[in-house]
Amino acid sequence: MYKSFFLKSVLALSVLSLLTSCSDDDNNAANVSLETKTFSNLYAPQTGGQGQPVGGAFTKFSFSQNATVTDDSWDIAFRGTTIIVNGGSAIGITDEPTRTGNGAVSIVTNTLDAVTTIPDISSFAQDATNTYAIPTGSGNGWYNYNSTNNLITPIAGKVFVVKTHDGKYAKMEIISYYKDAPATPDATALSRYYTFRYVYQPNGTSF
Amino acid sequence: MKLEIYIIVLLYFSFHISAAQVATDSVKSNQLQEVIITGTRTQRSVATLPLPTQIITGESIRKSGLSRLNEIIQEQTGLITVPDFGGGEGIQMQGLDAAYVMILIDGQPLFGRSAGTLNLGRITVNNIERIEIVKGASSCLYGSEALAGVVNIITKKPEITEKLKTKISYKHASFNTTDVSTTIEYGKKKIGLELFANYFNTDGYNLSDNSFTQTVEPYSNFTIQPKVKINFSEAVNLLINSRIFNQNQDYKSEVNVEKYSGESQINEWNNSLLLNHQISDKFKLVYDFYATNYKAREFLNDANNQLFDESNFNQWFYRPEIRTHYKTGNNIISFGTGLNVETLDRTFFETKAKLNSEYIFGQLEWFIKEKWNVLVGFRYDNHHQYESQFSPKLGINYKWNESFSLKTSVGYGYKAPDLRQLYLDFTNSAVGYTVLGYNVAEERLAELSSQGQLLFSNNFSFSNPLRPESSVNLNFGGYYKKSNVTIDYNLFYNIIKNLIDTKAIAQRTNGQNVFSYFNVDRIFTYGLEVNSTYKTSSNLTFSMGYQYLIAKDQTVVDKIKRGEIFARDPITLTSFRLKSSDYFGLYNRSNHTANLKINYQIPAIKTAVNMRFFYRSKYGIFDSNNNNILDKYDDFVKGYFLTNLTLTKDFNNAFSMQLGVINLIDYKDETNIPNLPGRQLFTKIEYQF
Repeated sequence: MYKSFFLKSVLALSVLSLLTSCSDDDNNAANVSLETKTFSNLYAPQTGGQGQPVGGAFTKFSFSQNATVTDDSWDIAFRGTTIIVNGGSAIGITDEPTRTGNGAVSIVTNTLDAVTTIPDISSFAQDATNTYAIPTGSGNGWYNYNSTNNLITPIAGKVFVVKTHDGKYAKMEIISYYKDAPATPDATALSRYYTFRYVYQPNGTSF
Repeated sequence: MKLEIYIIVLLYFSFHISAAQVATDSVKSNQLQEVIITGTRTQRSVATLPLPTQIITGESIRKSGLSRLNEIIQEQTGLITVPDFGGGEGIQMQGLDAAYVMILIDGQPLFGRSAGTLNLGRITVNNIERIEIVKGASSCLYGSEALAGVVNIITKKPEITEKLKTKISYKHASFNTTDVSTTIEYGKKKIGLELFANYFNTDGYNLSDNSFTQTVEPYSNFTIQPKVKINFSEAVNLLINSRIFNQNQDYKSEVNVEKYSGESQINEWNNSLLLNHQISDKFKLVYDFYATNYKAREFLNDANNQLFDESNFNQWFYRPEIRTHYKTGNNIISFGTGLNVETLDRTFFETKAKLNSEYIFGQLEWFIKEKWNVLVGFRYDNHHQYESQFSPKLGINYKWNESFSLKTSVGYGYKAPDLRQLYLDFTNSAVGYTVLGYNVAEERLAELSSQGQLLFSNNFSFSNPLRPESSVNLNFGGYYKKSNVTIDYNLFYNIIKNLIDTKAIAQRTNGQNVFSYFNVDRIFTYGLEVNSTYKTSSNLTFSMGYQYLIAKDQTVVDKIKRGEIFARDPITLTSFRLKSSDYFGLYNRSNHTANLKINYQIPAIKTAVNMRFFYRSKYGIFDSNNNNILDKYDDFVKGYFLTNLTLTKDFNNAFSMQLGVINLIDYKDETNIPNLPGRQLFTKIEYQF
């Protein structure tokens, strides 16, 4: 009886280890190049606001470099709650960086993981005169603004599929607008610090 | 506080049993049929009326020892008092917002909803004879605003007694609250006079850590209500009712560490003339003229006493109305016609706003044989500023037997867009966003655009007028009354269309939005309400109430079904898709509310013990997981129990004394329930001669 129990356990364990090693292999195969990264505390200050004209340099980000950049290799750029893409033409706002790429963005309502394909080309938008590819304002684009506690909260399930400046793709979800991404930010939380999760696809059209 | 005094008096009450006195006839069991007038504007027995109703008797108000209407309302089944900014409270009825409940005093509407809610704390309960509540859409009689129901506060009528009668009451309660009332009545031959006056003063309370501002700032108010009744003849009488209300409240604000203080003032005045003419046994004419003015002013001064901010609100309303009631057999046919004139002048309105309308209404109360009663009614409001409205209603009452009747009704209700939604022109000075009323939006947008202040416009059309919010209401219930038991139940369903909400219509160059009001949402509520009373003996009465409620937004239900709504996990901060069953419903709605009231009379010592227990299940007041809706993963306000206790001792017919504790168990939720200040003690004496 003890023996059979032992045998069964060994059998079960080996099956289990087989299973786990299998799934490990799968993960490795799928994620060897496609890794979900989290970029924390991208600081996107602005001047003005609160009724005054808004200005200040945009903070530019490159998905392929996983870093903020100062040259033209940026894909998207942030200033306050405003996000622009490196594609299209100037919107006409102060301190707008020049666009040298052919970037665009498609906003998809889904979870980040569930977005596996590139959406239809017609859903991609670029910045243009007086038009934002990512609509601004509460409830329009990526966030809601609560006027009672003055908090900016990223709308759950808003995924940006970004066509980068050089024609690659990345999918991203903004998860916080506050420093160190507190789960429940309060009035003392420092704002304009973006934390977002993203997957960069350097060669291909699926995630 | 003066706890010792309370304990001593409590002891006095308990030891007094030894000195038992002979029971008097002060406790009469009331066998009279309950009569209600708000449902039909005629005298109707509750048993035959096919509408869901509730009556709060003056006696139960007196037994509770409470001071203001909000305190009384929150003790009733299915009526939830909802805090609004500024410390005011409105009534949620059948799961519908406070903005949709019409509040009447002696059949005349109250005004002054500066932000949608009419603050019930404005109304003293010291001269209330009874409060009648009709639930469900009642626009067929009352027009706009009576979408969720009607609360009619009926104050005491002057009697022609040939004697000078005076009543004085004095109440002192926690937070240094004083409530003094006096009524003087005098009548001679054909004229009856009554003067009621009330003064209320409180230090307010603070549930926050802030030492500068309080949750409720100190305030004081007075109410004066003179009434004259003249009986010209058996057939003709005239009632003149006035009400003057004045309130002053401290007003403080902290903006970016700067401290500002000022005052918030309300001046209200209501006047009604009612001429009743009983032309024959069968035919009655009522001429009704009502005028009211509600004026509010708020200001803030900075540290140097310089004016920092000020806002004014001045609303006038006039209404002449003629009603006729014609009786054939048991049936009554009623007709009425009238004219509404409303003006509002307020800060953030470019010009004084006006609303005019004419209306007619008709009603048939039809008693078919013994068992059936049919109520058919309609009202047509010819509005000049928005779409005219036709509001029908049908109710059927079937008397199953002597003790049980079944009721069902279907009705239409609407609420006109309020003047703020039509005419507001407001720009927030701190953040820089703009809100424009629907009727002024197009013009103001063009202005902003020509001044180069607009980045872009979303090109909404304003050519069709903003539509009133409208509802269809269904009720199906029953009323059982036998010897010492009554049970009253009602299943309700409401669907509201064209709910008005804001939408961004343009963006300003400062990055902020310009908003206006639109008909967007569709919500529904349904549930069950049960009220029952049980008298075990002439001295002990139990009453119980329960409401089950579901209130949801149809748009959200549809979106979840289509898989378009997500929530953010608070730990991983990733999004996940919501299932239909995850949606909790609208904010501030509890699935379950219940109450139990015990009234125990001890005739030997002329004392009544009145205990009330309340339960409210969990509800949400904000979204905490980034989807702007309330789902089961959100943070909720915890469900809670409350207990109120009042002891009343009558010394003789002239003098009585009360002791009470509100919120005996001292339940508090400082961050979520600002209108629940913790335990309060009170004592009240009443004397009449």
